[in-house]
Amino acid sequence: MNAKTSAKSVGTNSKTTMGNPYHNKTAQWIAYTLFFLALAAIPFNVDDDFLLNQLATYGVYGMLALSISLCWGFGGILNLGQGIAFGLGAYGMAMTMQMQTQTAENPVPPIMLNNGLDYLPFLWWPFQNTVSGLIFAVGIPTLFCAVFGRIMFKARVSGAFFAIMTLAMLSAFYTIILDQQAYTGGVNGITPPSPLQLGSFQIDPYSPAAYWTVFFALLIATVIAKLITQSSFGLVTQAIRDDAERVRFLGYSVSSYETTIYTISGLIAAVAGCLWVMVVQYVSPAQLDVGLSISMVIWAAIGGRMSLLWAIIGAFLIQGGQSYLGDAFLSTWLLILGGFFIIVVRFLPNGLASLVEAGLGMLARKPKETSFREPSGVKPVPSE
Amino acid sequence: MAGLLEISHLCKSFDTIKVIDDFSLEVTEGTLCCLVGPNGAGKTTTMDLITGRIKPTSGKITFAGEDITGADEHAIARAGIGRKFQVPAVLRDLTVRENLSVAYSRQTNPFWNLCRFKVPGLEQKIDEISTLADLTHRLGEKAGILSHGETQWLEISMVLMQEPRLMLMDEPIAGMTEGEIEKTARIFKDLRKSTTLIVVEHDMGFVREIADVVTVMHMGTLLAQGSLQEIEADPRVRSVYLGEQEAA
Repeated sequence: MNAKTSAKSVGTNSKTTMGNPYHNKTAQWIAYTLFFLALAAIPFNVDDDFLLNQLATYGVYGMLALSISLCWGFGGILNLGQGIAFGLGAYGMAMTMQMQTQTAENPVPPIMLNNGLDYLPFLWWPFQNTVSGLIFAVGIPTLFCAVFGRIMFKARVSGAFFAIMTLAMLSAFYTIILDQQAYTGGVNGITPPSPLQLGSFQIDPYSPAAYWTVFFALLIATVIAKLITQSSFGLVTQAIRDDAERVRFLGYSVSSYETTIYTISGLIAAVAGCLWVMVVQYVSPAQLDVGLSISMVIWAAIGGRMSLLWAIIGAFLIQGGQSYLGDAFLSTWLLILGGFFIIVVRFLPNGLASLVEAGLGMLARKPKETSFREPSGVKPVPSE
Repeated sequence: MAGLLEISHLCKSFDTIKVIDDFSLEVTEGTLCCLVGPNGAGKTTTMDLITGRIKPTSGKITFAGEDITGADEHAIARAGIGRKFQVPAVLRDLTVRENLSVAYSRQTNPFWNLCRFKVPGLEQKIDEISTLADLTHRLGEKAGILSHGETQWLEISMVLMQEPRLMLMDEPIAGMTEGEIEKTARIFKDLRKSTTLIVVEHDMGFVREIADVVTVMHMGTLLAQGSLQEIEADPRVRSVYLGEQEAA
């Protein structure tokens, strides 16, 4: 008993020198590597095409959670309208894939013909070519974020007010897309008849190729996001999250930093939108639904918005739970999810990641204890 | 010789209340100017106007020959004015080291900073400043857990990290112990050799210790300016400010 208490006190003393591996940069990169190795092992162990396709959609959700974590967790910008970038990216991709199936004799997609439009509208022109279609699919949402962010942040709209503005903007886009049936397919959206064709290669949604495309996109987005958080830029954005007013007096243009991180986050969401249509071959106004955008925030909140990796895991857990437990519990699932969310917000404000952080913090002190107890230890053993 | 900072006929009104009324001030490079005055005299408002936190109703502020009237906060900071706030404002969720790193703002362009992972000269500068401020053993701690005195020092350190040409210190010694105050006075006197300082302070002992020039504000106007002896001899000052102090 006596030995135990003395060992404990040694452990607490060494806390500052030892450090928590959760905050160690090398340990973080190792954790990220292991995570992606695990994801890379999946296609070799899964034969079920349907399951692989479903896992690919989770990868897209993971990317969305990553974009929220970057913007909200690190930049302090709560964005309830990430569906704008996601949805516009998805529509751009769906339009590109739709145009791939149109021929010179039959240049107008059926959604227009069915709505009494016998020519290809101006809006669709860039999507006639696959390369320009993809550029526009990612470029338009990114440009929107840059302009919208610039206007908002320059006027110093922040916090809940910015969140409300994004929500309002999202609803506006949702309504326009729903309303302009001849251009967007209205409530039915766009269902491209065949998978994405890249050159001579076709990416079948139910093939490992689709999974690998999502995997590499998620990998690249995560590495870039992680590097951003570790750069000088990342440090300044975290300082802005803490106290934007103070950072201004250090010489940083706060609005430029906010616009940049919001735009990068939008870019990731736009790419996720493209991939989503590649994987499910379908887009509708549901992708711009308020519920989905709020779900993205919930994924990041439950996983841990301050950790890119845990935000992704949060998306996997909740969407996975929804798919499997949702079938078992039916509508009770929403109650379970809601209850879970309340518990996490109340007791773990930094999400499940904070459990890991606390656990590793405790482990970090333990090895110190054992090394002191070892009789062969080189370090002098404190006398009892 | 023209002053580093020149404030001429500065006015600021909130609705119909004139907070700063035709205030002019010239601060010579390499001096330490103490700004004193009773509560509500407009000292902090003057600091806000200089640093761009609020925009003047009329008047002009020039810094190093450049008109900075009504410019954005970050532009004024980049021009070389660093500020410590009355209520210590540090980045509480970041570590002391991170606070100092952010304050070392040589490069402020977001796109450049996206590609920067190592800042040249930063470690050396952190070493130097944290030793001076006696914060070396606290570098890894969150700024939010520091004591009040340490928080004051951290914010002063952040201003030093900026290496500004002009430092504005709003009540730097509030909440400090006798020993810390002595140390602050020593460091400020040292700083005067390389930079210019404007210090807002109530503690007349501290002012006596450090000031080259004392400026007395009252009701948003300049009441008197000169050495401490001149100020103390001024009957108007005695009546509005020092008189109250002696009576207290």
